[in-house]
Amino acid sequence: MNARVMNVKVAGTAGSDSRPAAPVDPAPPHIAARGVAVDFRIEERRQRVLNDINLIVPKGSFVSLIGPSGCGKSTLLKVMAGLIAPSEGDMRVAGLSPQEAVKARLIGLVFQEATLLPWKNALENAAFLLMTADETIKRREAFERAAAMLRLVGLDDADKKMPSQLSGGMRQRVAIARALALNPEVLLMDEPFGALDAITREEMSECLLDIWERTGKTVVLVTHSIDEAVFLSREVHVMGTGPARIIETLPISLPHPRTEDSYADPAFAAAENRLRGLLIESHRRRRP
Amino acid sequence: MTDAPMSWAEQPSTARFRKGVSDAAPALGLSAAVIVFWELVIRLFGVPSFVLPAPTAVVASLAANWRALAVAAEATAIEVLFGFVLSGIVGIAVAIVIVRFERFGRAVYPLIVLFQNVPKVALAPIFILWFGYDLAPKILLIVVIAFFPVAIDMLAGLQSVDPSFVSLMRSVGASRGKIMLRVRIPHSLPHLMAGLKVAITFSVIGAIVGEFAGANQGLGYVIQFASTQLDTPLIFAALIVVSVLGLAFYYVVEFAERWLVPWAPKFDPVQAAG
Ligand SMILES: Nc1ncnc2c1ncn2[C@@H]1O[C@H](COP(=O)(O)OP(=O)(O)OP(=O)(O)O)[C@@H](O)[C@H]1O
Ligand SMILES: [Mg+2]
Repeated sequence: MNARVMNVKVAGTAGSDSRPAAPVDPAPPHIAARGVAVDFRIEERRQRVLNDINLIVPKGSFVSLIGPSGCGKSTLLKVMAGLIAPSEGDMRVAGLSPQEAVKARLIGLVFQEATLLPWKNALENAAFLLMTADETIKRREAFERAAAMLRLVGLDDADKKMPSQLSGGMRQRVAIARALALNPEVLLMDEPFGALDAITREEMSECLLDIWERTGKTVVLVTHSIDEAVFLSREVHVMGTGPARIIETLPISLPHPRTEDSYADPAFAAAENRLRGLLIESHRRRRP
Repeated sequence: MTDAPMSWAEQPSTARFRKGVSDAAPALGLSAAVIVFWELVIRLFGVPSFVLPAPTAVVASLAANWRALAVAAEATAIEVLFGFVLSGIVGIAVAIVIVRFERFGRAVYPLIVLFQNVPKVALAPIFILWFGYDLAPKILLIVVIAFFPVAIDMLAGLQSVDPSFVSLMRSVGASRGKIMLRVRIPHSLPHLMAGLKVAITFSVIGAIVGEFAGANQGLGYVIQFASTQLDTPLIFAALIVVSVLGLAFYYVVEFAERWLVPWAPKFDPVQAAG
């Protein structure tokens, strides 16, 4: 109920500062933050890390969070995942509190490091969270689903490989498969390709885009790469520091489906320039 | 397990054996040189046997008393075995309780460290007083000596889990107990094995000290008895048996490590130093 009211409000703001009907997202809000603030206590001192975050992610959309290092992107993602409780405001995922969303298994997480269990092979790792989340699932069924997800992320014959035998990109694919095996409605990714080389990164971007188009999941991606944000997202939220808030929401009008050719689209360069400008501004404001 | 990333296991056994021999050769050579030098010094200067026996005298004593030494070794081995296993259990339990029940852990941890500073050897007579001359006081002494490295290493292992992993588990609603069981404990196994390797050597020391304090069997008893008889060659013979026993136990633990935690990083002392 609240989320719906807010949708109107925020969608209105986002629409008004760019062209009116660009990101027509008739989908209902899937993730909705209203006035979310987070304080961390550091040595008896309270420090405000996030302040008054208002954000709507429509169902099935792909949005990115971008902003200077330390501005609170990871913290915001953790609030969405129910790992940090907001000090103020309200976060809703599919109309539920993040904790309830966790219980309903709506959330899949991917971090910068693949964090695979070194004593399990790729398939076991991909099935591991699913088997933790659902105690009743049959081992065979969990493995079948994990194997299907490994194929989806392009790891066809790495099932039996141990993490130490996989490259960084392959490990990250396993981590994505592990999140997808949960069949979550929402995929939250924190710099998932941050540790990979440029070419692997682009490959992974295309792989992720392909998965998103096929599965229609709601994706929130934290990234430092302007290219990545533009190429993948429908909307990019630019965050600023001191304490963090969203300084601008930029709709990306690059047509779908996006392919390698999208990089050459004039709309790509335009969005990229605009985003670079916003980021520079956000960095400047960081000083005082 | 066929695909386990074990460089150790992937080598063919003959190559492994050859590498083992070439690794051991310098140490064996040095030992041989020391023994020959020792024998020469004793013969040249006519050192009396009860002060320092020649290696040949020690070997002679070993041959003459091997049956008694074997019986004593068995008694000591039983103490070490029980004491070590119990140390492992206590050490693991202490670490898990400290991590799982944070508040309690914060109260208990300093006490354990404090207790670690009590000279444990001095407790041996008290344990003898309380529990008599049987197995119990020796096992207890071993446990108070050897649980500490297990607890400390296990604790380090439990706490060194990548926080991202804990986040992942929490994001699917896993309880703290489940995170402990599925992630923290398996993750800490390589650390645990390091602690157990220290604990097994401490266990042998604990058994010998326990036997010194009061016993009627075991290698520590043999050493003490031999010293009252000024039978120094027998003392040395018993020491050799103690060392072999300790070495055997140590390698059992190391073998268990390779088998239990094949993913653990291998440690090569020489390469690590160089
Ligand atoms: N658990 C914590 N306790 C105290 N302060 C924290 C904690 N986690 C994060 N912070 C602080 O909150 C701020 C935001 O951190 P966060 O990790 O969300 O930034 P970020 O935008 O993800 O940065 P980066 O781009 O470098 O990953 C930082 O100043 C950080 O020092
Ligand atoms: Mg971050």
